[in-house]
Amino acid sequence: MMTISSLKKETKNQEIEGLPDPPYVMMSLLGYQSQLKPLVEPGIHVLQYQLIAQSENNWSIKLHAPISGIVDVVEYNGQNYIKITNDFKNERMVCVPPKLAALNNQDILRVIRDAGIVGSGGAGFPTHIKYDVADRPITHFIINGAECEPYLSADYSLMNQEENHLWKTVQVIQKLIKAKYVILAIEKQNRELKKKIEHQISQLNINIKVQLLGNDYPQGSELQLIKTVTGKIIPKGSIPAHHGVIVSNIGTIKAIANALYQGIPYTERIVTVSGEKAKTRGNFLLKIGTPIHHILEQIGQDWQPDDQQIILGGPMMGKAVTHSEESISKGTGGLLLLRHLKTEVFNCIQCGYCADVCPQKLMPMEFARHAVRGNSDGLNQFDLKSCIECGACAYVCPSDVPLMSSIITGKQLIKTKL
Amino acid sequence: MNLHPFIKAPRNTTQAIMLDVIVALIPITIASYLAYGTLALTLLGTAITAAVVTDLVFSGILFGNWKTSLDGSSVITAMLLTFTISPLTPWFVVAFGAATAIIFGKILWGGLGKNLFNPALVGREFMSCIFSSILGASSIWVTSNFIHIPAQDFFLVQDDEPVKTYLSTLLYNPSGALGEYSPFLIMLGGFYLILRKRISWHIPTMLLGVFAMSSIVVGDRVNLDYSFAGLLFGTIFMATDMPSSPNNASGKIYYGAMIGLVTFILVWSGVKFSYLSYSILILNGFSSIISQVFKPNPWGKKTNRLQKSEEIALLTTAILGVTIAVIYLHENHALIYLLVVYVFYVVLKYAFDFRHKLKYPI
Ligand code: SF4
Ligand code: SF4
Repeated sequence: MMTISSLKKETKNQEIEGLPDPPYVMMSLLGYQSQLKPLVEPGIHVLQYQLIAQSENNWSIKLHAPISGIVDVVEYNGQNYIKITNDFKNERMVCVPPKLAALNNQDILRVIRDAGIVGSGGAGFPTHIKYDVADRPITHFIINGAECEPYLSADYSLMNQEENHLWKTVQVIQKLIKAKYVILAIEKQNRELKKKIEHQISQLNINIKVQLLGNDYPQGSELQLIKTVTGKIIPKGSIPAHHGVIVSNIGTIKAIANALYQGIPYTERIVTVSGEKAKTRGNFLLKIGTPIHHILEQIGQDWQPDDQQIILGGPMMGKAVTHSEESISKGTGGLLLLRHLKTEVFNCIQCGYCADVCPQKLMPMEFARHAVRGNSDGLNQFDLKSCIECGACAYVCPSDVPLMSSIITGKQLIKTKL
Repeated sequence: MNLHPFIKAPRNTTQAIMLDVIVALIPITIASYLAYGTLALTLLGTAITAAVVTDLVFSGILFGNWKTSLDGSSVITAMLLTFTISPLTPWFVVAFGAATAIIFGKILWGGLGKNLFNPALVGREFMSCIFSSILGASSIWVTSNFIHIPAQDFFLVQDDEPVKTYLSTLLYNPSGALGEYSPFLIMLGGFYLILRKRISWHIPTMLLGVFAMSSIVVGDRVNLDYSFAGLLFGTIFMATDMPSSPNNASGKIYYGAMIGLVTFILVWSGVKFSYLSYSILILNGFSSIISQVFKPNPWGKKTNRLQKSEEIALLTTAILGVTIAVIYLHENHALIYLLVVYVFYVVLKYAFDFRHKLKYPI
């Protein structure tokens, strides 16, 4: 692992700001390993917070309208979206927060499910499935406040400004999953939060241990986080709950808090806008589905892909945006405008830097060797399947050996050979 | 498709690494200039010119791309090569050494990074085999008439203070090969490289540690004839060469320790001057196998300890076997045959194999 410097310091203490609502939202119908099915006909009017789509499998991943307006179903770049054209009337569904005291565990899981809550860290796994542990004993409930992606400070600003609902929600979940220990994990570089949060929770009489982690990348990655907090090394692909551990992102907790205490579904989140090429930087509370071009307009910038890389998510694991209609999803923590990279591929010089930084203790240079030769046995021998695609190896490679593309083509190769 | 990550470590290109090594060699260059003046600089200049021109020409012809030859690695090869020879070495011998280092040590393997052996040491062996009468003559080490600035008395030494004399020679002592005049400056370069993460502590510490331990174990029973400064130079600059050494920490520990052991065995058997080149070259040959045997244990996977121990035992036996063979060839002046075999091997390998894999980065 390694430390990466970025503009994080610049945004982390900025207050969360709002932006004017977009003229329309683009709600992606791609869910965790599933396609969502629209529940509304094109042309009809929907209210804010109305349920508009749902997955057909029994995971029931749900999507709600973040604004009121007229619905359309569109295809863009091979992906399906529900487009809602804003009528700017803000007509909303009546939201009644559930009466917490009267809810049993199944009811709470249902509230979480019906609010469309999925992990805010990126993968988007449905939270009500994760928390449905039945009788499985859970020792550790870890709240991931380690935002190890460079530049991003959305989670920090949330913890820095949130009041009590966040911690009360943690308590509700602890009871739900019957976790023995509750740990909030944050990075050392944010240690000023520790006192503040400890004060808040002691006032509320809630038992959460705030633990400081190193500043390394990728400390916030699930497996590494679990190891640091509990000492358990869980192989990739194994479900943490089977080892007595449940990890939730602090952003997910916030979404649950909104559902429990205000009765509103997951329709907004905090997004850090940053990067060397961004003229305005900060943490913004945005509607899910806000198109990139709207954000760019609001911060006074243009869509200029020749001049800058536009990234949704973090710079290490995010994804490059190819068209300006792409939008903020439930798992998007950042919108970054970065300089283009100059890459010049040399031969691998066997420096071993990639192996040094690999959190999964792999030998990434071997993936480059075997992937180009189509040698899936070689890839398996070096355990490519354990790679979490964190990008640390490619970040540090002095020769710009195409490590990430080798890893991705390599994984496909292994799949096709099965 | 544009893949993540979208940022890169700053100032961390292959050229930047090469530049750091050159910077680390500057103090030693200055020491060699102080010792032998323009004689030293002429040899360095000759070697660098020969190496860079050879690199440009051959990568141009064979790879159709001469740009990679400006990465700075041939400058380093030339400097390292020059620092292992006597200041009285004729210029054409040095030029020959530098050119063969580039061709047979690097280009024919497919370019920088794909070479199994340290190019500078390959060039050195070519030189000493082909020009054995020149380089083997003892007169080549009689350099006292050419000294620019003689050894200095830094601590105002009285007659009976061997410690202070010794300390003075650690700072500056113009005897031996061009890179060996100041252990202090060699160390300085080493610390710079460690600080910049261009080398790690594993190889130097293990190498020197094992060598020193072995000497202590043997004690006064045998007279060990080696140059401390030469050993230090080779340890810091040759044994740590990235392409020819293992790429993970435990591999480096084993590799350093084995070089220390093999060097000691060679010194003990009376091999002169070339003990360190031989030991590093022997271990170079095993370095990629060492990388694999000592590969870190992937996250959440168990190691098969028994299998690993077996592999290590086999590896160690093979290395010691090769060492004995080298001593035998050396004593019978038969290393030239090994060189001939090597030339055939790389030329054929290039023609039938490496040539087709130039587009692969590894
Ligand atoms: S992307 Fe995979 S191989 Fe590269 S450092 Fe991360 S886990 Fe290791
Ligand atoms: S970091 Fe790049 S050059 Fe270094 S060993 Fe890994 S792949 Fe090779």
